[in-house]
Amino acid sequence: MQTDALLHLNLNRSGRLSRRNFLQTAALGVGGSSLLSQFRLHAEDLKKEGRSCILLWLAGAPSQLETWDPKPGTPNGGETKKIQTQTPGVEIAHHWPKIAGVMNEIAVIRAMTGKEAAHERGTYHLHTGHRMMGIEKFPHFGSVVARELGDPQSDIPNFVSIGQTLSSGFLGVQVAPFIIDRPGMLPDNVVNTTSDLRQRRRLALLSQQENEFAQAGAAALVKEQSELYQKANLMMTSPRLKAFQFDDEPAAMQEAYGKSQTGQGLLVARRLVEAGVPFVEVRSTGWDMHTNVFRSMERRAPEVDQGLSQLLLDLKQRGLLEKTLVLCMGEFGRTPKINARPPAPGRDHWVRNFNLLMAGAGIKGGQVIGKTDENGQEITEDPVQVDDLFQSMCKAMQMDAEMELHTPVGRPVRLVEGGAVIKGLFG
Amino acid sequence: MQLLGYIRQTMPTRRIAQRINFSSADLDQALEQELGPATQALAEPVDDETFLRRASLDLTGQLPDPEKIAAFIKDAHPGKRSALIDELLESPAYGRKWARYWTSVIFYESEANKNRVDPQALENWLAEQFNQGAPWDYITVMLISATPERNKAVRNDYGQDYGPNNFVLACENKSTELASQTARIFMGISIKCAECHDHPFDNWKREQFHELAAFFHPYTYKMPDQTDPKVQTVVQPRFLLGEKPHEEMKADARRVSIAAYLAYNPKNYWFARAYVNRIWSELLGDGFYDVDSLGPDSEVIHKPVVNRIAANFRYKDFDPKWVFRLIMNSKAYQREIRTSDSAADLFTAVRPARLRPDVIADSVENLIGEAPSIRKEIIQAFDMNPSLPQDALEGSIQQALLMMNNRELQTRLSQSELKQRLLSLPSDTDLVQSLYLNVLARHATPSERERNLSYLRESEKRDEAVDDLLWVLLNSTEFRTKR
Repeated sequence: MQTDALLHLNLNRSGRLSRRNFLQTAALGVGGSSLLSQFRLHAEDLKKEGRSCILLWLAGAPSQLETWDPKPGTPNGGETKKIQTQTPGVEIAHHWPKIAGVMNEIAVIRAMTGKEAAHERGTYHLHTGHRMMGIEKFPHFGSVVARELGDPQSDIPNFVSIGQTLSSGFLGVQVAPFIIDRPGMLPDNVVNTTSDLRQRRRLALLSQQENEFAQAGAAALVKEQSELYQKANLMMTSPRLKAFQFDDEPAAMQEAYGKSQTGQGLLVARRLVEAGVPFVEVRSTGWDMHTNVFRSMERRAPEVDQGLSQLLLDLKQRGLLEKTLVLCMGEFGRTPKINARPPAPGRDHWVRNFNLLMAGAGIKGGQVIGKTDENGQEITEDPVQVDDLFQSMCKAMQMDAEMELHTPVGRPVRLVEGGAVIKGLFG
Repeated sequence: MQLLGYIRQTMPTRRIAQRINFSSADLDQALEQELGPATQALAEPVDDETFLRRASLDLTGQLPDPEKIAAFIKDAHPGKRSALIDELLESPAYGRKWARYWTSVIFYESEANKNRVDPQALENWLAEQFNQGAPWDYITVMLISATPERNKAVRNDYGQDYGPNNFVLACENKSTELASQTARIFMGISIKCAECHDHPFDNWKREQFHELAAFFHPYTYKMPDQTDPKVQTVVQPRFLLGEKPHEEMKADARRVSIAAYLAYNPKNYWFARAYVNRIWSELLGDGFYDVDSLGPDSEVIHKPVVNRIAANFRYKDFDPKWVFRLIMNSKAYQREIRTSDSAADLFTAVRPARLRPDVIADSVENLIGEAPSIRKEIIQAFDMNPSLPQDALEGSIQQALLMMNNRELQTRLSQSELKQRLLSLPSDTDLVQSLYLNVLARHATPSERERNLSYLRESEKRDEAVDDLLWVLLNSTEFRTKR
């Protein structure tokens, strides 16, 4: 059994069975007919191949007034000016000229309202759809997507994050994010150092070694480790590994995304989505601007402006945008009132109203949903709760927001506990 | 420090301490009484070899070598386990192991600028303290009452060279951070969310949080308004249990007084219990409650047991080694491993625990010799939050890939002295036995011996086959687990 588990049948996304694994399978005495049936089953799965999501996470919580809801000319507006976008009537902060140029693809949600104004708690809420309470660790939305839309036999992880992120919580290591730090490079240690034959013998001996330790009382740890080794082994021989590497990516395309960590991360995200990975997160840091918000925004905005606008153009050109949900957000917003912190003023944590961007996957671009008052302190139209956002994300991913997840103690919880799909978001 | 010495001397508990004793047998009795029907499910006691490996990992982070294993098994003295605990507590590796643990506890979530802190200086200082047998109240006071000063003449000199300054520096000397970290690390309670609102499930009020923060503030502390942070009200310093400092007290004396309230107010049972719970959790794989996020006291499982240990820890003048001796000499600690997710059979067995990254790095270096770059990669890949319970920790594909494929690691293993020694052994049986003793610090079971022997027989090249056997044990779950 254990051997079987470790030497898992390696069918890749295109349904091809690699020669090496065919030999392994044959060696294990799996009959031809059962092989064929597995092959067919897999082909069924491929038909269902659906949606993907790229989440660009602006860690630290970007200011709504310096992004998609500027208030120039008011006491709270500060130095930020507004600019016209491609969409008549839609105006955003002047830091984002390139985003302005692709506004027809984007829905701006201006009236988000949350409940958590501390980084860790807000990050958790906006990644899981649940507030941090009690003992249960809810999974990252990406882990739920990986489980629902990912191919369980996939030879590369169904959830990749460029930069640290939340874990898969109680959904376990099967759908945990695979984290890379250097976009464009092959992940570390994916190249086998020995021959296939020796590797196969080693793994067979290892699985027997593991069985004995499982019987000695460490069953849970052994099970987890064998799942991880199985995944690692599939990954090592995957032809899709090249999605991580820019070797075949034209230099002009790398330039277009921008030579920044965020830009290159978004390019990897596009390549991974193209290779069939259903969820990719790209993390951009440095958005917690308690001080010096105007200068800091000038420094941080350009790489996101360039990378995100290019991503949308690129996805559209490849026909991927209609099945790829693109999200750009942080954990909450920032105080409309400008503080007096030295050396230069900034904005503190604020959760009553903030904003974010959504695009692709059936979302109607070129629109703004929700409104705040002239000081940016109150929502005046169409507030969107975190639950509503998650309902909408599920709809875009063609997933059932009402689905039940089972916690380790068997308590059923809904993926999204309330709310409704944002009105008018989908065309 | 003089002030502290005075407070310590006059502790009422000192006088009764001489008359009170609490032994490992008392601990077992108290625990079994609490377990009730679950005592039927008590796991078997471990054999000598397993005990030696477990105790060595727990107290020193190091595996015993084959000579030590042989000597320990051969030793016929009935008190040998207890003697081993004493011996390990006296080795320098003891202080180092626990200094690394606490340094990680303090720095894991720190957002301080790396140029303004020195975790290594803290680790060195803590190692020295633990090895000298410094009491926990002294260590705590030194950390909390530190007042690092910036030396502007030197770039990035914030006083981080002096070890004890680094708790305050890890908190960036911010009153609010110092308040929540002091509560989290030294009391085991989570009050951080009370910074913004009243605690959702607990008694801590927003004011209480800010009163504690005011204690750490050098001047006048102002609490920001909940809705408009520009509106601020002055808050007087007050400890969580309501103690107020003398009005004319200077900032540094006030910090010493926090430490005094923390450690010596007999009503503050959280302080002693937080330490006991952490150590118990590290030793048995589960705590009586999550080590740094206790809400209401009703969350504590088998509360009478942990409360008694904590009370006695106080009577023993907060001697860290006393806690190790008490727990490790108990039957509860010396049981076989089993994984259970039910609260009812908690502590009827020991939970197999993931080894900490530095311990795995040590185990690897034990096989291949010093290897800084591999060590760094292991520390990164196996990084874990020291304040999370074992069942909340997870492995990763990166860990598997590193242990399977890292080229330098494989090459070093293949060229290691250990491998040369294995190859030079006269028989395959000796080879397999020595392999297990060196890598997993135990003898091979009969089935393991047979399997490995037949692997050697069926391999064309003996040299390669030994690489394979080493690879298998290096990649086994047991290699990175405390059993």
